[in-house]
Amino acid sequence: MSSADGETLPGVPSVGRDEFDAMVDAETTDPREELADVDADTDLGIEMAEDAKRVARGDLSGDEYWAKHDAAAAAEFGDDYRETPNPAVDAGDQTVSTEAAESMQCTVGSMDTVAAESVGTGDGEGGIGAGDEKWGMVIDLQKCVGCDSCTVACKAENRTPPGVSYNVVMEEEHGEFPNTTRTNVPKPCMQCENPPCVQVCPVSATYKMDDGVVNIDYDRCIGCRYCMIACPYGARYFDFGENYDDEVDEAGEITSPEYGVDRGKREENKSPIGNVRKCSFCTHRLERGEEPACVETCVGDARNMGDLDDPDSEVAAMADSSRAFQLKEDEGTDPNVYYLK
Amino acid sequence: MATESSGFEFEFDPGFESDRLRIAWYAFIGVLLAGGAVAAYIRLTEGMASTNLTSIVPWGSWVAFYIYFVGLSAGAFLVSTMANVFEIEGMHRIDRDALFAAIISMVVALLFVWIDLGRMDRMYFPFIWRQLTSALSWEVHAYVAYIGILVTELYFSMRIDLARVAERASGLRERFYTVLTLGRDDTGEASQAFDRRWLKRAGILGIPLAIFTVHGGTGVLFAVSKARPYWNSGLFPVIFVISALLSGTALVMMIYVLRTKLFDGDSVDPELLDRLAQLLIGFIIIDAALTAIEAFIPLASLHPHEIETWQVIMYGPMSWSFWWFMVGLSWVFPMVLLSKKSWRRTPSVMVLAGLSVVIGIIAVRFNIVIPAQILPVMEGLPHGSYFPTLVEWGSSIGIMAVGLLLYTLGAETLPLTPLGGDHE
Ligand code: SF4
Ligand code: SF4
Repeated sequence: MSSADGETLPGVPSVGRDEFDAMVDAETTDPREELADVDADTDLGIEMAEDAKRVARGDLSGDEYWAKHDAAAAAEFGDDYRETPNPAVDAGDQTVSTEAAESMQCTVGSMDTVAAESVGTGDGEGGIGAGDEKWGMVIDLQKCVGCDSCTVACKAENRTPPGVSYNVVMEEEHGEFPNTTRTNVPKPCMQCENPPCVQVCPVSATYKMDDGVVNIDYDRCIGCRYCMIACPYGARYFDFGENYDDEVDEAGEITSPEYGVDRGKREENKSPIGNVRKCSFCTHRLERGEEPACVETCVGDARNMGDLDDPDSEVAAMADSSRAFQLKEDEGTDPNVYYLK
Repeated sequence: MATESSGFEFEFDPGFESDRLRIAWYAFIGVLLAGGAVAAYIRLTEGMASTNLTSIVPWGSWVAFYIYFVGLSAGAFLVSTMANVFEIEGMHRIDRDALFAAIISMVVALLFVWIDLGRMDRMYFPFIWRQLTSALSWEVHAYVAYIGILVTELYFSMRIDLARVAERASGLRERFYTVLTLGRDDTGEASQAFDRRWLKRAGILGIPLAIFTVHGGTGVLFAVSKARPYWNSGLFPVIFVISALLSGTALVMMIYVLRTKLFDGDSVDPELLDRLAQLLIGFIIIDAALTAIEAFIPLASLHPHEIETWQVIMYGPMSWSFWWFMVGLSWVFPMVLLSKKSWRRTPSVMVLAGLSVVIGIIAVRFNIVIPAQILPVMEGLPHGSYFPTLVEWGSSIGIMAVGLLLYTLGAETLPLTPLGGDHE
């Protein structure tokens, strides 16, 4: 036994640090082999990597590192290098001094600014929701365990106030003990193909976007709540202006950029307070190429997101299967959320 | 008809007969307004959180009062058309009363719509952005057009008397009444005929507007909600119109008696009273019968959602409002009072009958708006429950007090009673 103190706790495998380190070494690939597959210079790669480790250990400063490698990297990668965002000027606590950062040949600019630019120019004139997909969700009820993780993930992602929950899991028990079954039906906004909420809004504040998602323009909504009356799925919530201030410090400091609009802090008398809110399929994440928070989080992998218009997509295949159904099919709303029974 | 302006004699002394009553009445309105102001202040500062509304029951007392006053207005207006369009004998006396009450009711109704908006600051948005498929979008425009018709009608109905009053008055009072005539101060027969012709035209235009768009349309606003089976019926807008006629007639009858007694110091015309009372009987019967049909069809179809909604109405925690107010005050009690001919000619009894209906129909409106939201739209979602907060009650009473104040001020200054009895 190589355990440091020689003591073993019952039930705990006695494994020492050396064994762990050995496991790591066994798993790591040989850098030389790895880099051989790439076009770039292997020696340069290894040298930079070794130096990077020394920076991490504190044996070398960030400034020295870049002074040593900037020219070689520029020579090796050319324009690709010069156009990458400068990793050193990201935040206030950067590891490289400003002079060193500015002397580097790659574009001076933080990752953030570059990311923001690429989003802005990403889909041209169309703006949010202009994509030619038709976003759809398929929820496999056989896989849903009713853990409510999606509900929590949604609240965290969209920072919804008390009383507003874009996603809920409807849970029902059937039968009598001990012969009981339980059905869990997670329910976001269905992003209906024929949405009654859109039909009734007197100011067209809620409307269908090209990508199939039903948007609410919080700057236009007058808060008449007609849409809540019209929605057959109870998917809409009124924002009464409540906050989690007692539970979380500075709960309203950040809001989610729903429908691609960044509204800054949550403040009294500022939209979306006094407006009606609902699930947006996490449009802001979709636009970044990410899945909605609930889909990403789902522990049972029950939720799937994709383009229903693309016949090769997984969701299209699932929505087409004989297990697929929609909620309240006879309402004529034609939801873009499908369930698998 | 003594319409020669020169030899025309009349007495124009609007306003309370008794000064003590005037002070007491304004003090009463003042108290209501003060209470309403406090409630409105809380509503404005705390926002919708000051209500008992939830995401499950998003429409509450303000919406109920809104449709109630739209109904009162439409009903009162339709009563006025009996005088100025259908020229039913003896009805002319209540023409202006009915029109003025209809205008004030619309103002009150719109105040209720306004306070109910989550974003009160955006109340003009429906005139900037529209939605062709939205009943509410259409309604907002219909209300404005309708108020325009009402004001036009009141003008043509009252102008000649305004001109007569202006002729006799001097100074500021003269200016005031002259402005209201919009400069048409001719009191001759030709101008009167012109007024009557245009009054009738406006009335004819107003009838479909009131029936189909203003009040029927408000019923449609609910009936199109397929998600709420209780509202989703073709009969629903019809019942809306009938109960509007019921409450409007009751209101006009009440106002006629009270204003004649307290303002004009005249005696009430028993013939006219009886005629209004008989109208009321007719509307009560139609309203009760249609409501029974409306309840029977879904019950017979065994649609679970609707059966449960009716169970909530008839046996739920708020069933008292159905039995005591809706059935009791708007149908049974007034029906008893209206049953005897001698009672129908007794002003005090008819005021009681009118008041009973006017209060009872409030419960009808609440029982339209709330129960449909109690049952969840989907199994597995929570049931709703709702009773207005003090802020909601207080602000509602305050808004109604604004209506009372406007009405009283109007009744104290305008010739709402045709002058000189030239309108038989
Ligand atoms: S589920 Fe409700 S809110 Fe969502 S699109 Fe359909 S009707 Fe609108
Ligand atoms: S609450 Fe807002 S989104 Fe809903 S119908 Fe009214 S204006 Fe439209």
